Amino acid sequence: MKASDFIGREVRDHEGASIGVITDLRCVQDGPLRGGAALLRVDAALISTRHTGATLGYDRRPRQGPWMIRAAVRWLHRELRVVPWSTIAEHDGVLQITTH
Amino acid sequence: MSDQPAGRVLDLNLHLLDRQVVDTEGLLVCKVDDLELEPGENGALYVTAILVGPRALGSRIGGRLGRWIMSIASRQATTPPPRIDMSRVRAIASAVTLDAHRADLGVAPLDDWVDRHIISRIPGSRHESE
Repeated sequence: MKASDFIGREVRDHEGASIGVITDLRCVQDGPLRGGAALLRVDAALISTRHTGATLGYDRRPRQGPWMIRAAVRWLHRELRVVPWSTIAEHDGVLQITTH
Repeated sequence: MSDQPAGRVLDLNLHLLDRQVVDTEGLLVCKVDDLELEPGENGALYVTAILVGPRALGSRIGGRLGRWIMSIASRQATTPPPRIDMSRVRAIASAVTLDAHRADLGVAPLDDWVDRHIISRIPGSRHESE
């Protein structure tokens, strides 16, 4: 499995309606130790209706400038959702949120 | 997911993918083309390795261009795509720093060969002036 297997994939809600695409995977460094450091655990998926500008970070850094670009990207991603990874499952090749 | 995670929080696309990977001497090793994910015993998904090379990048790019890159790279390669286990990662900042030397990782055999057989024979290539 690779990060690219998930980033860019469409996610549907429990009723099968599309809620957007995964723009990023949020990880927490609290996994088992490997080589003296804890492994990164996939904790949540960042889901937006658009992928444009998601790699710039404006949608997550509140003070990153210039402000005009920040405002534009944040407007594009105004519906950004952070969904716990434990609530996402794959059924028949479709990523779906399992909770209401 | 908890409100206050116990460990450091990183977004893979924003903080890791496409970052430069450097060795113990600060020499460029590669870029993070993709990341290997493996489920743990508790069902959680962990980042276990950095994937390197055109085959890793091609699958990430996707589409016709990605398939074209992967097709060409796969014809030239006889081994699995190079990977750097996360146990070799010493720090993740603006670059990913490893605890190994570039030549020992074997992720860029062509670069290593050129360095060893051509670049190293050029006078001044080993910082003699310093």
